[in-house]
Amino acid sequence: MTTVHDESRFDSIAVLAIGALPPAEARELEAHIAECDLCRREYDELRGAVDALALSAEVTPEQFGGAQCERLRSRVMDAVRASATPAAAKVVPLARRAPSQWLPYFATAAALALAIYSTWNLTTLRTENDVNQRQVALLQARLDAQERASNEARAQLALEESRLADLIAPGAARFAVRDGVIVRTGGRILIALRHLPALPKGKTYQAWTLRRGAKTVAPSITFAPDPTGLALVELPESAANIAAVAVSVEPDGGSKQPTSKPNFVRPLS
Amino acid sequence: MTAFEAVYDGFHRLVYGIAFKMLGDATAAEDLAQSVFLKVWSSPEAFGGGNFSAWIARVTRNRALDVLRSRATRPETEMPADIPLDGSLDETVFARLDGQRVRSALAGLPEEQRTPIELGFFGGMTHDEIARSSDVPLGTVKTRIRAGLKRLRITLEGSVV
Repeated sequence: MTTVHDESRFDSIAVLAIGALPPAEARELEAHIAECDLCRREYDELRGAVDALALSAEVTPEQFGGAQCERLRSRVMDAVRASATPAAAKVVPLARRAPSQWLPYFATAAALALAIYSTWNLTTLRTENDVNQRQVALLQARLDAQERASNEARAQLALEESRLADLIAPGAARFAVRDGVIVRTGGRILIALRHLPALPKGKTYQAWTLRRGAKTVAPSITFAPDPTGLALVELPESAANIAAVAVSVEPDGGSKQPTSKPNFVRPLS
Repeated sequence: MTAFEAVYDGFHRLVYGIAFKMLGDATAAEDLAQSVFLKVWSSPEAFGGGNFSAWIARVTRNRALDVLRSRATRPETEMPADIPLDGSLDETVFARLDGQRVRSALAGLPEEQRTPIELGFFGGMTHDEIARSSDVPLGTVKTRIRAGLKRLRITLEGSVV
């Protein structure tokens, strides 16, 4: 559909393109653009300039190099190596994996490889063979990651087993809470909870500790239940001098002070 | 991980640069860059094709906007979803652009056009906020943004021909 427009409509499209239109107006205009060829052409034209605009922020080796650059690279690579999650324990061993399960990875590898190819403009690499090599390299990278994830999942499982042993250890002090228990054993504090609802995106569970004599709680670990609603968490704090433990729902990354009513507050006595 | 390292090496200056320009803080910029590359690593399927540098720049900017909004304790506002592009700057033109060319083109814009574009794009301000901060009528701000973008596009296309 194409209709007659005044200039102010096109001006609003420019504002939308740089992301400066308030959400309600943006939604309304996006709905119109989806239906209007004229406005869509205008948007496409301006959006190309906006994409290019981002390139102006690229830093030079002089602005971002040396130790700072190396530090960030190490951080990212370390984080990638450590990015395995407990969910990876469900990964089917590679030898048993059905070929069809790899199709998404092939597609992803191809998309990324093509992006790299087009963006870097490496003329010497512009052969089909080179693109294939990049696809294979990306696929190999994912395979390596899966293997590492599998190893780390085994280590995680061993840790969970150790925590479960603590839960039933004779001599451990147990403090019942709704749908769970807090266990103090060997200088450690464990929280075991079940039936925990999954939280919306951007929210997380967070534990809090209250030291003896303190008037305010201190932030502790954030955690998420597994798909069955079960959470088994070991607090990083030593059990010594901890008078109470609480859990609340907080924004992702945790809070410095509780921002919602706690699920429970449990004195350890 | 060689392939991922190649992606990182090709785009870390862009990702860090956008993060630093928007957040103005090296530590926060490094944190944000790390989260962007982890996203690339863990969910490469999120990239649906097209120009990779434009995509990763959008991901970086959106995450930086989230940080800016949380700093301002403004309520979280959902980002407008990207409208898929039929045509943009020609792919071959885009591939030949670099930071220096775009900075040069941007510097060539009249300040009255460059400033609102930068405040909106890198500063995360809405058009109302731009108008208030620069004491210029809203309609004028919008017109200047559009004129600036058109001029920027023409300059960029000319710079690589």
